[in-house]
Amino acid sequence: MAAVEEIAGTLQAQEVQPIVLDDSRWEKVLAATGGWAAACLQCGLCSGVCPWGRVRSPDAPPVSVRHMVRAAQLGLGFDALPAGAPLWLCTTCRLCEVRCPRGVPVTEVVLGLRELAWQEPWLSEQVPPELAGVLWDVYWDGNPWGRPPSQRTVWARDLDLPSYDPASHEALYYVGCTAAYDRRAQQIARALVHVLRAAGIAFGTLGEAEPCCGDAAHSFGQRGYLAELVAANTRLFRERAGVPAEAGAALTPLLTTSPHCYDMFEQHYPGLRGVFRPVHYTQYLAELVEAGRLSFSARLPLQVTFHDPCVLGRGNGEFEAPRRLLQAIPGVELVEMAANRAEALCCGGGGGRMWLETPANERFGQLRLAQAQVTGASVLATACPYCVACLDDAVKVDAGNRPASAAGEDRGQGRASMRVLDVAEIAWMALSGPLPDTAPGISPGGTP
Amino acid sequence: MQRDQSPTPHGTRMPGAGHAAIGPLHIVVCIKAVPKPEEVRVNLETRTLDRGSARTEINPADQHALEMALALRDRYGGRVSLLSMGPPLFIPYLRVGLAMGADDAYLLSDRAFGGADTLATSYTLAKGVERIGRETGGYDLVLCGEESSDGATAQVPPGLAEWLGVPQAMYAGAVSLEAARSGAASNGRRLRVRREIKGGHEVLRLPLPAVLSVATGANVPRFFDPARRPWAAAAHVVVWDAAALAVDPTLVGTFGSATQVAAVEQAGRAERRRVVIRGTPAEEARALATVIRGVLGNGQAAPRSPS
Repeated sequence: MAAVEEIAGTLQAQEVQPIVLDDSRWEKVLAATGGWAAACLQCGLCSGVCPWGRVRSPDAPPVSVRHMVRAAQLGLGFDALPAGAPLWLCTTCRLCEVRCPRGVPVTEVVLGLRELAWQEPWLSEQVPPELAGVLWDVYWDGNPWGRPPSQRTVWARDLDLPSYDPASHEALYYVGCTAAYDRRAQQIARALVHVLRAAGIAFGTLGEAEPCCGDAAHSFGQRGYLAELVAANTRLFRERAGVPAEAGAALTPLLTTSPHCYDMFEQHYPGLRGVFRPVHYTQYLAELVEAGRLSFSARLPLQVTFHDPCVLGRGNGEFEAPRRLLQAIPGVELVEMAANRAEALCCGGGGGRMWLETPANERFGQLRLAQAQVTGASVLATACPYCVACLDDAVKVDAGNRPASAAGEDRGQGRASMRVLDVAEIAWMALSGPLPDTAPGISPGGTP
Repeated sequence: MQRDQSPTPHGTRMPGAGHAAIGPLHIVVCIKAVPKPEEVRVNLETRTLDRGSARTEINPADQHALEMALALRDRYGGRVSLLSMGPPLFIPYLRVGLAMGADDAYLLSDRAFGGADTLATSYTLAKGVERIGRETGGYDLVLCGEESSDGATAQVPPGLAEWLGVPQAMYAGAVSLEAARSGAASNGRRLRVRREIKGGHEVLRLPLPAVLSVATGANVPRFFDPARRPWAAAAHVVVWDAAALAVDPTLVGTFGSATQVAAVEQAGRAERRRVVIRGTPAEEARALATVIRGVLGNGQAAPRSPS
């Protein structure tokens, strides 16, 4: 005993704390990560490809996924790591998953550890307090933006969107919280409504009854609350689906604006199987083009580069539908960025990061914009409201940082280098004529 | 109760390890269900708020009070009881509080309580606090939100303290327990309350029991624990009527109210002008400055001192 005390005393003198391992924590980590925390062999490729490494200053402590997983394997709190853990920095972009030699679904590990962080005191200080506020907003208001549920349909006040009727509609359009409330994203939804109408699609929405899909709860690792949301929403969707589809009959598309909502319905709503067919709108519009129901006749001379939303691309394997749609528009020239499809860089808005602040010099969107600028395209297209928000921000920061150019111009500021547009907006431009060239975010449908 | 106060073996900071000896605390938290402000309409005939069409939530300020109670219990041990006065439709909201971490819930519900102003409400709640105290071996602290979003008087917490005859501190920002040499009633401890005031803050020391209102913004209310939801959904909520509380019938409901609403009006909505200024940031700033100067010139936006 005296020897142990002596060693402990020496360690203390060197400011080194002995680590005491706790097996019960490992059991919890294993359960929360579906066993995947065990599969990590600590090669560090994940840390190497993580976009955080590209935005953090070389002097700052490295953002290391590998260290975090190692700490979890040992059942250590993340304060044991000199640089802390990237648990809440992770945008769940899955770029590391493409490289992992053991095929570890790192996102599942991260979400599992987040789930633990809500419950376990040895991790709990890791939960950013503002996330509880977002969850309360989902609970009381039915959306993660804390906006009144009674204003969910204000964006479409002048569009006369009918309530979904299974007898007369061939698709259920799930608008989603961001497209319903965010001023910029509303333009995407409005453009999509116009495109669907131009294609002659009879569709309806759930109006004010439309619930939150639960993407925020999912990305915060709140699996218990997500299960509640999924159960309640599944009941609602099944009620609204009308008569059960006959075996073999084509299912009604459940069409989403955001790939995040699509991902939720596709991956996390087992009770919707055989009731609706979740589909991202780019997939649906590409189908309409290929079925000859949607066609673009007028030329839209536009050089476009496409940013793959992580959740649509790496998350659900859909890289081609938005590209097929863009290429169906005469005059649109698609120029790829060097990092495209499975290699695409994240916008920085996934994994709950939409609700957490990121300093302007650490935003992935800034890097992504620089990659897009290299292509020479005038439009940076994407197909996700979060990506549009992050990339629009990047354009604004970039415009503000640009040096003086022509004489008489106000220090060269305020001139956007590229225009960020959602694919739905480009499709509507092709059908209706160019959008007014003012600020990003003005659709031909007008501002509500 | 003897508690081990030695440091934990591997240095993990255990909540309240150094303070547990002066716990536990039995905290009663008053919560109320309110209509969502943006959905409320005013009934001009009855001079009341028309709640029928509005969605309901826990009064946001009360969630801060509950968070403070739960944090104090995490630190000192003890028990958190929820107390509300209202119709049975409040029960689901009490269950949300139980899922956040409260231990039990009480609802004071009787038609005779209807139409109460802040005087009658605080009297009725005081009777509820007293009975909770009698049945559970006493209460140490009553926490309220700073005000309700529908009434916005902030009168109930101090009224409650007066009816109970205990000290009060309003708009508390931070609360802790400390040892006190005197005051047998306080069990050798007292409250330390920090509250923001104009130009600074003050620290108050209060004997227990006491009534506090918690400043909105003092904390971030934790989200409920999904694992507690099934228990909370089935938990017994104690409902007491006027007879169970042995209230003085002249002090509750409309009879017990010292104020009457003489008139209410629905405020009109200001219509936005929808003027959009476009240009470079410098152009926009110049245009905006011109607009502001124009308004100031008309004397419409002269600065006013808050009355």
